[in-house]
Amino acid sequence: VQRDNFKTCEQSSFCKRQRAYQPAQSPYVALEDSLKITSNTIDIQLLNKDNNVRFLLTIFGLQDNMFRIKMNELSPIKERYEIPVGDALKEEPAQQKINFAGKDKDKFVIKMSNHKLLLSLSPFRIDAYTDETPVMSLNSQGLLKFEQMRIKPEAKPPADDSADENGEEANPQEAVENQEEKVKEEKKEDETGMWEETFKTFTDSKPHGPSSIGIDVSFPGFENVYGIPEHADTMALKTTKSTDPYRLFNLDVFEYDLYNPMALYGAVPLMYAHNEDRTVGIFWHNAAETWIDISSNTADKSVFSHIADFVKGNNEIPQTDTHWFSESGVIDVFLLLGPTPRDVFKQYSRLTGTTQLPPLYSLAYHQCRWNYNDQDDVKAVDANFDKFDIPFDVIWLDIEHTDGKKYFTWAHDKFPTPEEMIKNLSVKGRKLVTIVDPHLKREDGYSVYTDARDRGFLIKNKDGNDYEGWCWPGSSSWPDFTNPVVREWWADKFALSEYKGSTPDLIVWNDMNEPSVFNGPEITFHKDVKHYNNFENRDLHNIYGMYVHQATMEGLVKRSGGKERSFVLTRAFFAGSQRYSAVWTGDNIGEWSHLKVSIPMVLSLNLAGITFSGADVGGFFKNPDPELLTRWYQTGAFYPFFRAHAHLDTRRREPYLLPEENIKIVREALRLRYSLLPYYYTLFYQAEEDGLPIFRPLWVDYPKDKDVFKIDDQFLIGSSLLVKPVTDQGQTNVNVYFPGKDNVWYDIDTYQTYDGSMTINVPAPLDKIPVYQKGGSIIARKLRPRRSSSLMYQDPFTLIVCLDKQGKAEGELYVDDYHSFQYKNGDYIHRQFIFNKNTLSSKNIDPKGQFNTREWIEKIIIVGFPNEPKKITIANSSGENSRILGFQYNENNKSLTIRKPGDNIADIWTLVIV
Amino acid sequence: GIDRPRGVPASKASYYKPGETFKCITDGKTIPFEYINDDYCDCDDGSDEPGTSACPMMMFYCENKGHKPEYILSSRYNDGICDCCDGSDEFGGEKIQCQNFCEEIGRKDREDRERLILLQTEGFKVKLSYIQLGQSLQQEKKARLTEIASEKDTYEKLKTDLEAKKNEAEAPEKEAKEKHEKAWEEEKEKKKAVKERETALMAFDEIDANDDQHVEIHEMLLHPEFDIDSDGTVSHDEAKEYLEELERAGQDEFLEKIWPNIKEIFKSKKFSDDVKEVETTESTTEQKEPEVKPQPKRDNWAKHEYGDDDDEDEEEDDEELEDEDYDATTPPPPVEEVPEDKMPDYDEETQKLIDAAEQARNEFNDADRKVKDTENEINTVRQYLDIDFGPEFEYGSLKGQCFEMTDREYTYKLCPFDKASQRPKNGGSETSLGNWGHWSGSEADKYSAMKYEKGQNCWSGPDRSVEVILQCGTENLLLSASEPSRCEYRFDFATPARCIDPATLQPSPKDTHDEL
Repeated sequence: VQRDNFKTCEQSSFCKRQRAYQPAQSPYVALEDSLKITSNTIDIQLLNKDNNVRFLLTIFGLQDNMFRIKMNELSPIKERYEIPVGDALKEEPAQQKINFAGKDKDKFVIKMSNHKLLLSLSPFRIDAYTDETPVMSLNSQGLLKFEQMRIKPEAKPPADDSADENGEEANPQEAVENQEEKVKEEKKEDETGMWEETFKTFTDSKPHGPSSIGIDVSFPGFENVYGIPEHADTMALKTTKSTDPYRLFNLDVFEYDLYNPMALYGAVPLMYAHNEDRTVGIFWHNAAETWIDISSNTADKSVFSHIADFVKGNNEIPQTDTHWFSESGVIDVFLLLGPTPRDVFKQYSRLTGTTQLPPLYSLAYHQCRWNYNDQDDVKAVDANFDKFDIPFDVIWLDIEHTDGKKYFTWAHDKFPTPEEMIKNLSVKGRKLVTIVDPHLKREDGYSVYTDARDRGFLIKNKDGNDYEGWCWPGSSSWPDFTNPVVREWWADKFALSEYKGSTPDLIVWNDMNEPSVFNGPEITFHKDVKHYNNFENRDLHNIYGMYVHQATMEGLVKRSGGKERSFVLTRAFFAGSQRYSAVWTGDNIGEWSHLKVSIPMVLSLNLAGITFSGADVGGFFKNPDPELLTRWYQTGAFYPFFRAHAHLDTRRREPYLLPEENIKIVREALRLRYSLLPYYYTLFYQAEEDGLPIFRPLWVDYPKDKDVFKIDDQFLIGSSLLVKPVTDQGQTNVNVYFPGKDNVWYDIDTYQTYDGSMTINVPAPLDKIPVYQKGGSIIARKLRPRRSSSLMYQDPFTLIVCLDKQGKAEGELYVDDYHSFQYKNGDYIHRQFIFNKNTLSSKNIDPKGQFNTREWIEKIIIVGFPNEPKKITIANSSGENSRILGFQYNENNKSLTIRKPGDNIADIWTLVIV
Repeated sequence: GIDRPRGVPASKASYYKPGETFKCITDGKTIPFEYINDDYCDCDDGSDEPGTSACPMMMFYCENKGHKPEYILSSRYNDGICDCCDGSDEFGGEKIQCQNFCEEIGRKDREDRERLILLQTEGFKVKLSYIQLGQSLQQEKKARLTEIASEKDTYEKLKTDLEAKKNEAEAPEKEAKEKHEKAWEEEKEKKKAVKERETALMAFDEIDANDDQHVEIHEMLLHPEFDIDSDGTVSHDEAKEYLEELERAGQDEFLEKIWPNIKEIFKSKKFSDDVKEVETTESTTEQKEPEVKPQPKRDNWAKHEYGDDDDEDEEEDDEELEDEDYDATTPPPPVEEVPEDKMPDYDEETQKLIDAAEQARNEFNDADRKVKDTENEINTVRQYLDIDFGPEFEYGSLKGQCFEMTDREYTYKLCPFDKASQRPKNGGSETSLGNWGHWSGSEADKYSAMKYEKGQNCWSGPDRSVEVILQCGTENLLLSASEPSRCEYRFDFATPARCIDPATLQPSPKDTHDEL
């Protein structure tokens, strides 16, 4: 990366001001007289004693164990930006009754079920407790700093300023009136960069002056915090004592560096703190540039004077302190009180929503390259996959498919008959993705541009003219996606009648939506460009990219009359993006280090609700050698979003071009993914409800096992699969940590067993992916290889039943038509399989669902079965139609294979082993 | 026409005799006969499911009456796509109704085949002439090699003889020339001494201010160049030092003792025009490093700077950069030599010797050049003979020819066994895509493709290279050019040399891979 393209905290005036703010005592006090109580909320005014500015603080009780704390100026001279409800927040969060329990010493006590907030009046701070245990506190370090909107002071000769300042320091005792006090305070502030800021050759005009906000949030008793993607860093966040703070500011970063807090393409201001007893989180509802400092008394090896007084003298208790600051907007913090990992994910999903069940093909393998040159090229790649019997579902076209980088058009010499090209793919159940970026070429003949221009839909620069910048097509302008009317206009561009050459089998990829502006400051918009309602990009920068892919997804769904689920991939994202799009980790590099870091990056995205995510397999830049590419396929086969991609300058690397041995291994990895699609699909269905990560850190399922809190080189898929991919060159053995004291784990290839709470060194030659199914789980797989996932839709299931130490197991399977919204109308099957006391039964766990399918059960494999049975029978729910089934028992690996139950997947049955 | 399970060819029908049990073909396991094609895989070799998709590695046999039978992967059985032309792979029938179009494609296939045979027949005729030509070229070259080797011997002998003659003629030439030149040197020395004396006498006269034919101390004092310690005045001692401790010196003493010591420092006022100052020719300005402008690096822009004319831009940038290298300070022109007196022409005798030697030298050089020319030709012929022109030398005649084709943007050129290149259609310089490397077909069919490599380097990428895929044609034709990967090109080239004897082709569209 060229680091000097991007600001350090020192180069960002608000970051510098906020970070430097270390008052002896917070000047903010809560004014008791202003207290207003309703059944779900409490209002109270705050006063900054240093400048007499007043604020309104509102505390909301929210359903599912959350508090919301909002703070704004009481009477700002200009409206401060708030993200509209329905954008990051999927709707107005449901409120919950809270009890104002009066005053205890100088603290108000606010109760909500087993939680309470203590609001200290002077100085102002809030401490949150669950069952009398402190879990979070706000402003306990006194870092609250809310810069009020103000009128630009008349310019003074600089010599005057410094004289004044010196004078003040010399005469601190000097008595002054309040009015003067205020003036003094303002002067005391370092005004550099408040009214204008320059970075490299770019000047930010800052017409409204300083407006930043910041507050500290402490997590007493917590050593580990997670979240705030996107950073190319470890999953467990690190102290920022000796680095810049973690930065959230959507940017197009070329060849990004690893293991640092620099901003990348997307931002989710959500952080979790976890320890053996509980999990809590905070959601910082703000779309402006944000920085987060993290310090920890354990990691930083020093005890802070600020350790909360509720620590009761035991300063050995670990504590993580965080400090959040944003360039503008209001303070709007959601306290997610857990107490379990599952609870916090549910809480966050209640706020910003979950990923809608994706169409099945989008969970299969995607083949991308910048670029597939022309129709013949697409045809040849498609044919080669079949020739080498390697499955794929989606082939992608990058920017070269367009006529001069004008999206929604085709380079006609290369793609003369796109419909025909798509049809050749769709007969095999495959799809085509085209890229549609938000920058519009400023060309009079380009109707998307002229239409946007003529309707006044383009973003304006500070002077009110259409903003112009450089991107792929050269001189470009950007629609203002923050305007709902513009989003609707954009969505309509995807109508089949509008987007010539598209068909229902064409889906879309939004890139460069941070947005990337080649000649802009930090390769993005100038901060003073103007959006809808006269807000600046500074106010909402991080949510712009989400509006782009939201509008795109809405267009694709609209295209089918609301009947078909669709697919959009985005590079930029924000809290809530998961409702519309899959996300990839941007332009990574074909090096081992980038393969390795992809795991914590996808874990962090999953923690932040963006479950449908992955990294480019093979790495975007440079040429991975066959070993690296092979290992990357083995890892990528588990990313929820599984796509290979490559830069224009790289050599071709479609899997069939690998050496023969590697082709075989990659084919197996892909087949493994395809065989697991029913499992992934079921997990996505469940996650649409509960918001649980799919590509999951171990601590989510093993919250009390301290040894897993920092593990980010292995992961779970759902609860039932444990994966430890090889991410080092030449490595043929890996150490695998098997979590769960009473667990037993089964190698999915050999059924070899491993006991929980142990680290075992296992062989992992090039053709081996260390993957383990948990004892106690049942996974339904489809083991017949096909050319694409949609060709598998009538194929039979094999149930893999892995028994725990008590000889029990259970699992779920969700089935529907795999592509439409009919499941919302009850067209689905949701089964539960339970094995207990040598009896396996299939139950319908959601009677609301009814669906006719030809899918049936061809085989059941019971692993960990102690000895050869005598007889196996199966019968329907009423015990009728009892049949004897054939079986084979393998003494070596204790696996019992039951021959052809043959029942339809929707049937209720019971299988008894004697 | 015996009854056999779905997906089984007649040749395998004997394995599937209806009865109580079925024995898996290779693993010997026994299963009930009704397990055949029951959509469950029992045999490890898959032989119980020839007509379902239950055994992943099984092959499904389609009879394809009217066309030719074939095997498809059993994973393509009942997947909703009609793979066999008779539609027999889609048995389920719910998803799709396959048409039987074997007759149609069978006819088309036969037509294609006939066309192919015709093409091969025509092409092969030409190929035979190519073989002849290639072989005779080989013979020619080999013959030429022998011939030229003997020519080389002849020239080498001649060269040796002429070298001796040359040496013979050069010895007297050298002697005479040296004599002449030595005489001239002596003459020059004499002239120089006279001139030196004149200068000294003039200096004497100039210093001898009172014209008393003696140089005296007080006269020396008037010449600031005698100020040894540079204190601004010529002291008595300093003057005396130059006067070799004499009070005064007459003309002879001056010429003999004093002038040699002062001639380097004495500055004549009168003759200052004549006295040349020795200028330092070295330039005092330091050689400046050419200022290299920082190249706009491929940072974020890089991704953006691509496109078909991108390389050209890059190259232009490079050239500009190189030009700047040449922009360094040019050294001042050499100082002109003071014109010396010219040496008189050689006398007639000497000139004759010189002319004779010159002729001997020319004759020798002629012979030497001929030796070198023959050596070069030997190398060229050897290089040609080293090239693998195919098993029957059928490609031999392509060397030395070039073939071009033009697409939307570029004209591509292939000069077999030499090089490949492209140049923009609208003018511009040629870019090398590679030089002849080697045959690059598969092991089984080595002569199906050629590799041209080490072409012009790509930015951040490989050297350009071309894979030329050969096919049979009735004439040599560069059919197409593409760039499937950045800077890795592919040409399709038709040539009679690639055609095969139609006799070996004769149609029998027989099932050739009839095995499990």
